[in-house]
Amino acid sequence: MMIRSPLFLLIGALAVAHVVALPTSAAPAVDVTPMAQGQILRGRFQQQRFLQGFQGPLKSSGTFVLSPGLGLIWQTESPFALTTIMSPAGLVQEVAGRETMRMPSARIPFMSKLYAMLGGALTGDWDALSNAFNITRKGEGKSWRLRLEPKRADDPAMPIRAMDLHGSRFLEDVDVIKPNGDHDRIVFLSQKLESASPTPEEARLLAKAGQL
Amino acid sequence: MTRVLSLVWLALVVLAVVYLTVRIHDGLPLRTDLLALLPREEQDPTLQRANDAVSRALARRLVVLVGHSSAQDARAAAVRLTDDLMATGLMDAVAEGFDGERLKRLGSLYFPYRRGLLAEADRALLAAGQGEEVATKALAQAFGVGGIADGNLLRADPFLLLPSFLAALPLPLSRLRLEDGALTVTDGSMTWVLVLTSLRGEPFALDVQERLLAAFKSSSIALEAAHPGLQIKRLGAVFFAEAGSRTATSEASMLATASLAGTILLIVVVFRRVRPLLLNLLVVGVGIGTALAGSLIVFGELHVAALLFGTSLIGVSVDYGLYYTCSAFDPAGGTPRERLRRVMPGIVLGLLTTLLGYGALALAPFPGLRQIAVFSIIGLLAAFATVALWLPALDAVGQARHVDGLLSAARRMFAFWETPNWRRTRLLLLIAAVAIGIAGLLRFQADNDVRRMQALSEELLRDQDDIRRLIGTTAATQFLLVEAPADEAALRREETVSPILARLRAEGVLSGAQMPAAFVPSAERQRENQTLVGTQLEPLLARQRATLGMEGDAVEASVTSIDPLTLSEALASNAVPFLRELVLAPGMHVVALQGLTAPESVRAAFDGVAGVRLVDPTADFSALLDKYQRRALELTGLSALLMLGALALRYGWKGAAWVMLPSAIAISVAPMALVLAGQVFTFFHAMAVVLLLSITSDYAIFCAESSTDRRSVTLVAVWMAALTTLLSFGLLALSRVPAVHYFGSTMLIGILLAFCTAPLASRGRRKLNVPPDSDLLAKQERTSTRVA
Repeated sequence: MMIRSPLFLLIGALAVAHVVALPTSAAPAVDVTPMAQGQILRGRFQQQRFLQGFQGPLKSSGTFVLSPGLGLIWQTESPFALTTIMSPAGLVQEVAGRETMRMPSARIPFMSKLYAMLGGALTGDWDALSNAFNITRKGEGKSWRLRLEPKRADDPAMPIRAMDLHGSRFLEDVDVIKPNGDHDRIVFLSQKLESASPTPEEARLLAKAGQL
Repeated sequence: MTRVLSLVWLALVVLAVVYLTVRIHDGLPLRTDLLALLPREEQDPTLQRANDAVSRALARRLVVLVGHSSAQDARAAAVRLTDDLMATGLMDAVAEGFDGERLKRLGSLYFPYRRGLLAEADRALLAAGQGEEVATKALAQAFGVGGIADGNLLRADPFLLLPSFLAALPLPLSRLRLEDGALTVTDGSMTWVLVLTSLRGEPFALDVQERLLAAFKSSSIALEAAHPGLQIKRLGAVFFAEAGSRTATSEASMLATASLAGTILLIVVVFRRVRPLLLNLLVVGVGIGTALAGSLIVFGELHVAALLFGTSLIGVSVDYGLYYTCSAFDPAGGTPRERLRRVMPGIVLGLLTTLLGYGALALAPFPGLRQIAVFSIIGLLAAFATVALWLPALDAVGQARHVDGLLSAARRMFAFWETPNWRRTRLLLLIAAVAIGIAGLLRFQADNDVRRMQALSEELLRDQDDIRRLIGTTAATQFLLVEAPADEAALRREETVSPILARLRAEGVLSGAQMPAAFVPSAERQRENQTLVGTQLEPLLARQRATLGMEGDAVEASVTSIDPLTLSEALASNAVPFLRELVLAPGMHVVALQGLTAPESVRAAFDGVAGVRLVDPTADFSALLDKYQRRALELTGLSALLMLGALALRYGWKGAAWVMLPSAIAISVAPMALVLAGQVFTFFHAMAVVLLLSITSDYAIFCAESSTDRRSVTLVAVWMAALTTLLSFGLLALSRVPAVHYFGSTMLIGILLAFCTAPLASRGRRKLNVPPDSDLLAKQERTSTRVA
């Protein structure tokens, strides 16, 4: 539908950032901490959404949990409490425990595709992203910089014009540029890998989004 | 005189042959659709039109799933298949999914009218005074991830009402999702890609079927070779129709061949000469050829079913020829003309009664039945003219004496029905017949469920089930018809019944429904929505804008319409592809249903709702067959009475009753015996009964019209006629199509009964006051003149 969310790309990027040795020569080598099966990634985020014709960016911040295969919980704390859960089956949004949005992936064509990319990337299948994007590496040393551009720029289902990723051990920040000039900038902080299962509350949220 | 008439008849036959050759050269216009066999429902043209429109739209649709373990292969094969199908020029592509282009069009259609368009959930919140909730929801999407973050949209629609409306649109095909522009569903390791196309032309036209199926087959063979492991599942009326007409035509030609071969064998064995065979073939050939030409002139086209039944005419039209050629066994001998004179009364009377029977058939308002009736009437008249005008001239003088065995068998048959020492057996048989009749009546059950009368291809049914399972939902053939004086009133009606549909969906009776009002709310509803937005959200606007950080007064006076969106504008925009199918005419709308499990619950739910009703074409067709089955039985009764009256003029009432007895036994015992054997009585049994009356009365009349010294010869002719009829109609009992099988088995038993009981009719002769051979000659001359 009208939803042109960069979120899905973001997940792809987060996941890609954790691919260890990139198997194909087409893909640039990126030195990040490997994410093993059964691990979860936790961290904080700060998001700035720059919208055309708006005075300033819409700022939000909070925490996130990524559990490969199950989904992503995006817990916004400021400016108000808001939970967004994404799974391969779709997306659910809750405000104060009340569901405000429910989107099966059938309704958002791009989402399932990105989930396929996410899964592929997490298991070291770089092909998933390089199928749809031209990836160029900039920068040297421990710190890396990637630019992702859609191969099919005319694909109407592709809601972005480009994506800039930057990081070293982890993905540190992302800039998602959309065709109409809007762009989202997300900074990731205090990330850590855990070899633990999601908490019961997180599992509940993930299950909820898994049953769309 | 006879010579002139013969030449006139020859000229007519030559003309018919020339006409037929030209038509066949142009390609015979054969139809195969069931719809063409349907009677026009005079009493409800509206319903008929809706039915036609919806059934045709459904029948045109082709749903193909292309599956492969590799998504890429599946997608490539689907693209190729679509290209191949489009290359035939027979198909239009149908875009059921909402790709970017479609979304853009949808967005620009709705955008100016957004203040009047509310999702049902938002509308409920606003109506309950919970505008805050709507505002929070929009903020959550603006600030959260995964929401609508388009700046332009947010500026124009700070409460994000339009995306909410769009997201709530009831779109069909729920399990499919768009991947790389292809609607896709994954099942286990398989990726299935949907190819949705719609036939431009008539799905039941034979040439369309052939061309499309040929293209489909060659394309799938090539694709399966290119992508090993590829699976293709298909669903569409055209596939079923093609499989059906393939079965029908192969069966028709198989049965026709068997019938012809059997008839030829029978004649050659009995006559031990070739000439009678050639004479009878001539009669049949002229009959069928003229019938075909005549029907094409009358109707312009023919239905395959009419042709199937029509070709079985071989068995009937050969009766007259056989009756004449069997006169060669007459011990009295005579020239061909003398022999013709002797059999003429029987043939004329038989023809007249048979025409009465077929005439009654033409009264049934089924176009297909009319075709069969006209085909048969022309064929019989032609066969009669051929026998009366040509056969004596072509016949060699000669008497056959080799059938003494048959003749003595015939004499024994007469003895069985007449000598007193068989009286007890005769009574027992009569009691048995009555018992079968009564027992059958007690178990009598009529059911015309069309789904059980067609032989649907197993493979296609499997594909249909698989497709239903994979894409989760399929369009039901049933639909709701909404009628109102104008579009606005119809839209309002839909809005009033929308809660009923929601309840039915919650009860699991259906999985989805699309009504025009869901895509274009009524003007009244749009105004209500505008008011709700004005009273509930307007007060929150300043705060919402501040929270979003929007510049103070940059209010877009851009594209906002105060007037509501109209249905005609939506239709003209072509943004909602299937809207056109839902709006049949101003004020006449269709609510399409998906995944309907209990049509009766839906019918009940809308019982008493003005202007809304469930249309169930299949059930309606079955109900129609019920009605016409009764009509056919009434017609049989009517023609029996007419025949009785006509025969009474000749034999007196008691004599006429004797002549009608064999037919009466055949038409009452045959269907009842089948009912006892477990068959459910259908329209097709009734049709067989109609025909049985006409055919069996011929046999009885031949027997009744025969003098005592020649009646064994006559009975041999009747047997020959009955056997040839069994070879044609009786063979239909072997058909795999249940409807044809019912018809054939009724004919089989009925003809056998008439075969055995025909001698009873000669009892009617005792009441005949007119010496058989005197005034009939003059009468025959007159009749043949009239007929020619």
